[in-house]
Amino acid sequence: MGKAISSVCAWVDERLGVSDLVEFAKQKTVPLHRHSFWYYWGGLSLFFFLVQALTGVLLLIYYRPGPDAFESVRQITFEIHFGWLVRSAHSWASNLMIVAIFVHMFSVFLMKAYRKPREFGWWTGVVLLMMTMLFGFSGYLLPMNELAYFATKVGLEIPASMPGIGPKLAALVRGGLEVNEFTVQRFFALHVVVLPAVFLPLLAFQLWLVQKHGNAWPPAEERKPVEARQTIPFFPNFLMKDLAMWLIALNVLAVLASLFPWELGQPADALKPAPPGIHPEWYYMSSFQVLKLFGTWFPGASGEAAGIVIFTLGLVLWILIPLYDPTRTAGRRGRNATYFGLFALAVLLVTTVWGYVGLK
Amino acid sequence: MNYPFWNVPHIGSGWVIGLIAIFHVMISHFAVGGGLYLPLAERKALREGRRDWLDMLRGHSKFFLLLTGVFGAVSGVGIWFAIGLAHPEATSTLIHNFVFAWAIEWVFFMVELSTAAVYYYTWDRIPERLHLTVGWVYAGASLFTLVIINGILTFMLEPGDAWLAVAGTGREASRFWEAFFNPTYWPSLLLRAAVCTSLAGIWALVTCSRIDGEEKPAAKAELVRWSAKWLIPSFVALPFLLAWYLYQVPESQRALLSFGMSTIGTGAFTQVTRTVLIIVMTSATIVGVVYFFAWRSPRDFSFAHALAVLGLGLIATASGEYAREMLRKPYVIGRHMYSNGVRVKSVETLNQTGYLTSSLWTCRVGDPRFARGEAMFRGQCMACHTKDAYRSMKRLLAGRDREAIGNLLTLLHEHKPDSPYRAFMPPLVGTKEEIEALGDYLATLTPKEKAVAKRQHGEPSIAKR
Repeated sequence: MGKAISSVCAWVDERLGVSDLVEFAKQKTVPLHRHSFWYYWGGLSLFFFLVQALTGVLLLIYYRPGPDAFESVRQITFEIHFGWLVRSAHSWASNLMIVAIFVHMFSVFLMKAYRKPREFGWWTGVVLLMMTMLFGFSGYLLPMNELAYFATKVGLEIPASMPGIGPKLAALVRGGLEVNEFTVQRFFALHVVVLPAVFLPLLAFQLWLVQKHGNAWPPAEERKPVEARQTIPFFPNFLMKDLAMWLIALNVLAVLASLFPWELGQPADALKPAPPGIHPEWYYMSSFQVLKLFGTWFPGASGEAAGIVIFTLGLVLWILIPLYDPTRTAGRRGRNATYFGLFALAVLLVTTVWGYVGLK
Repeated sequence: MNYPFWNVPHIGSGWVIGLIAIFHVMISHFAVGGGLYLPLAERKALREGRRDWLDMLRGHSKFFLLLTGVFGAVSGVGIWFAIGLAHPEATSTLIHNFVFAWAIEWVFFMVELSTAAVYYYTWDRIPERLHLTVGWVYAGASLFTLVIINGILTFMLEPGDAWLAVAGTGREASRFWEAFFNPTYWPSLLLRAAVCTSLAGIWALVTCSRIDGEEKPAAKAELVRWSAKWLIPSFVALPFLLAWYLYQVPESQRALLSFGMSTIGTGAFTQVTRTVLIIVMTSATIVGVVYFFAWRSPRDFSFAHALAVLGLGLIATASGEYAREMLRKPYVIGRHMYSNGVRVKSVETLNQTGYLTSSLWTCRVGDPRFARGEAMFRGQCMACHTKDAYRSMKRLLAGRDREAIGNLLTLLHEHKPDSPYRAFMPPLVGTKEEIEALGDYLATLTPKEKAVAKRQHGEPSIAKR
């Protein structure tokens, strides 16, 4: 039996060169220091994405976009064996994926892993985060329940308030003047075709960049002489730890999906008044709150427009940070970038909490 | 019925028992499994002359004594207080049947506590063989506490036909042995024994993980691997024992496992299925982590790894206990007493004479009607439901008007064979007037009906004798 397996492995290896890959992985090292914990968050983001892909495909088997959207999700949740579990895992994993990417992004930022030669890694990472948020936004409407309907309606008011192209862009996404089954159809196409078609190559590009440049040393470690730095082999040591984190993540997901299954709520009804305290998902709460604040500070549509401008400006600065703080010799720029990162983190946290407190 | 009702807002009295019991089980099973681990490891160390093992065992026995002797013992007594307050009727039945069993268990418990202390404090103070003998006495005593308590716990799930035939006649004790060795006794005992050995291995891994792998690579590798082996019996035998156990569980209770497969509908009692999923997931993860991290790389097995395995083990154990408790629904003692303390044989009588008139602590409530309704709620619903949090009545009744609530109560009262609630809820007992009063009270909990009901009847209040 063992001999047969060995000969099959050898046959595959001869054709695909698997042993070369293993050899390469053994040569590759990962920095070991007191901040190594943060290296796992990129892998965790990938893990939740894989869960999303798998559960998404399973949901596709029964989900019907358009006028039957709610009914099909009702069947998944209340009639099909373990349909509720697949849906819960999909919904929870989407939120956990966004949490993981946020943590990954801020850890990359604060460890200065965007510096030369990792600028493209930073840019693709930010785009991947924004696309993940778009995945979340487009997926949220698909059950077409009451909350999703009104939250999408509110959410689409943000691009609609943009001067110039805003209203047209919102109408294009909605498929008309109101959120309805055509919107569901469009969001569905966006969610399962358009976004994955862009997301997957970008993800592959980022993974290739990680392989090419390896994990970055944080500044404090970088200052040490090379011989004083510690590393561990990627294969099998780091990979095993990474897989252990995946296992923990899988268990967290399983506990959340089983004990707190995702509720379906009531079907959307455009004639009903919006339920009190309607708000977007937590990862949009910060921008929602900022727009709300600007709306109270400035009269009419100018408030929301000012909010969008400020937010866009912040995002542009965030994206351009590798150009402002390109190397470890950047000096004051490096410190300024750190302050900017901490300020952005504080603004995100404060406005998110403020948004939820304001709902009560 | 014969006792006052214990109102625990938000979490309900069941969870008071649940939290204490789950905490206790996680320690007490370690007490049994660890009781075997210590003398076996000590014997191996003595036979093979491994002094470095003895150092680790000494540290482990100190931790063992503290955890089992303090937290295990205190939480065990806590269960007594909790069950006496939350389920006095069921506790009374158990005491009447198993008082001698409990007395014997306490004897073993005292031996267990004493020997655990002697075992720790006599390292290097008495001859090695005698010290090992103390360990064996501890192991035997702790195993017997499990052997006895398992009979009482499994009795509650399925007392067996022999005991049920004499239940309520005053001759229940004549069927002590049939009740004790009830249909689920043996599979449950072996299941628990398997969990005990697993927990012994898991807790030992925590201690072993703290050995410095750089300083003592051989000792760490050997101890980690030897401790990891303690999980093997459990994971090989567990699926078979579980299948045997479920085969012995009455068909009606087994059906509760499948409710949550296709739905998460409110009121559909889906938590057993969902909890079982967690057990499967966490158990599979433990196998993976222990194999890859403890068995394959014992020297690198860190404290964080051990804590992760421990956390998973505790989640699996807690989920198992919760699922077992839920599997008893709608009974607290299978086919004899419903989860709200109403005996199966008393249902007809209570329907004719009245629930409140038969309850010592509520029987003389006069009007107002709301007080009667609230007393019905406390007596018959509150064993499993709270007003506003765990299994919240407000949430479950949301959207129902007074008439819909009345229809639901009629459904529960009639308790027909095709009723969807029959599988996991006791019948609602009482006279028509009592059930009407309960309906009026429940209507005050739903937002729509609350204002109207308050205007008509004033604020509800509880009346006591």
